[in-house]
Amino acid sequence: MKLNVKINGKKFDLEVNPNAMLIDVLRDAGFKSVKSGCNEGSCGACAVMIDGRPKNSCIVLAGQVQNSEILTAEGLGNPETPHILQKSFVDHGATQCGYCNPGSLISAKALLDRNPKPTEADVKDALDGNLCRCTGYVKRIEAVLDSAKIIQKGTKGNK
Amino acid sequence: MLKKLTQFYYPKTVEEACLQLANAKEKTSVLAGGTSEALRNDSTIEALVDISKIKELSYVKSDSSSIAIGAATPVQDIYKSDLSGVSGELLKTAAGKIGSTLLRNAITAGGNLVALFPWSDLPAAYMVLDAEVVCRKGKPKRTVPVINLINSKPAAFLDKGEIVAEIKVPVFKKGTGASFAKMSKTSNDYSLITVASRITIADGKIKEARLAINAITAQPVRCEEAEKLLTSKKPSAELIAEAAKKAVAGLKIRKDYRATEEYRKEVCEVMIRRSLEESIAKAGK
Ligand SMILES: Cc1cc2nc3c(=O)[nH]c(=O)nc-3n(C[C@H](O)[C@H](O)[C@H](O)COP(=O)(O)OP(=O)(O)OC[C@H]3O[C@@H](n4cnc5c(N)ncnc54)[C@H](O)[C@@H]3O)c2cc1C
Ligand code: FES
Ligand code: FES
Repeated sequence: MKLNVKINGKKFDLEVNPNAMLIDVLRDAGFKSVKSGCNEGSCGACAVMIDGRPKNSCIVLAGQVQNSEILTAEGLGNPETPHILQKSFVDHGATQCGYCNPGSLISAKALLDRNPKPTEADVKDALDGNLCRCTGYVKRIEAVLDSAKIIQKGTKGNK
Repeated sequence: MLKKLTQFYYPKTVEEACLQLANAKEKTSVLAGGTSEALRNDSTIEALVDISKIKELSYVKSDSSSIAIGAATPVQDIYKSDLSGVSGELLKTAAGKIGSTLLRNAITAGGNLVALFPWSDLPAAYMVLDAEVVCRKGKPKRTVPVINLINSKPAAFLDKGEIVAEIKVPVFKKGTGASFAKMSKTSNDYSLITVASRITIADGKIKEARLAINAITAQPVRCEEAEKLLTSKKPSAELIAEAAKKAVAGLKIRKDYRATEEYRKEVCEVMIRRSLEESIAKAGK
């Protein structure tokens, strides 16, 4: 079947199997930041934003995103021009093997879009579906809180 | 995997969805959040009717007498809603205990009720709140107590071309308290024991008692004998203990590799006791 989606702001017209899972469609289309950890909705490594909501792409049928807008970690930034969250994750050591990062960055981005001034409890709540086996959970909380502060300052400075 | 799946339908209205389901020549199923449907191993389903984008099915509304939740509402929207009062707080607590943010953004209120797994969190809350379910077959609709739908298994209860459209929960006034608790190995893991209760007190006596259990059982159940025992009595520690014992004795416990039956039974009794204590304390406030 034909699948029309916008991925990271760009239109795609993909030919997919009706029973294909979104995670596989995205990876086949070159978005390799989307990782498979458990393939059953438990770990968050495959999280992407679908029409503004972060979800596990391994339990979404491709057909469910017909005409949707998707954001993957590639859409946040790249090594040359990283997103504030990506830079903060590095600065705070919230990354080791990096496998969980694309998913947790998407969850963090969704949080900051909705709530620019999150508390520590808000961050814990928003990232509750992203398992990390390397860093523990403290550093990424610091990274998200710090990003929020930097973004706040930035927008104030612009005004 | 849905081996034979070839077709998706994207209805814009409930009527359109019901027509597509009723007229389908291929084996067709409803798709809401997809969190269980997408993972199903079924080689008969050929088409899916995606109701998740139907705007008239996604809302959380409340007035002075009831709360209404559209079937396609992501449970995250219940958790993050500004619902208040006994019913509102209970629904928010139960919805917030479902999986994780990433899952709650996908799982819908209706799907969580229709799929009805042992670990489904909202059904036990619906049961103690005496919720009703609005089922629609196009324009025609019927409103039924949630317990009817649950006791006869939703899939069997619904006709061809009929879907769950809304869950309606009454609002309780002063004198009522409710509690929801679940025990699991981690906060994201499937529940081992789910306990919900509601108590309404009038003139110092329990006027209405509701107790519902899930996870330790194969599907959500009301503990009617324990409810009867509590009704018309003055709340006391002895009464609560007796009701908890009676409730657990009446349960048909399912196998779970995570913990032994003996352990779960013992914990369940303690959880019921605490749940009733909490509901009674809140009712008295
Ligand atoms: C890893 C993981 C962890 C989970 N943890 C929990 C948890 O802790 N607590 C919890 O409560 N749930 C949990 N769930 C969710 C639960 O297991 C179900 O997947 C979910 O409730 C189904 O909802 P859905 O909207 O995704 O429905 P779908 O998967 O889209 O549909 C489920 C079934 O219901 C039918 N259906 C859906 N909506 C309607 C409707 N409106 N009318 C008629 N039929 C309908 C479909 O045809 C299908 O048969 C978890 C799921 C996963 C994958
Ligand atoms: S790979 Fe999707 S949640 Fe683990
Ligand atoms: S950095 Fe390795 S899993 Fe999180």
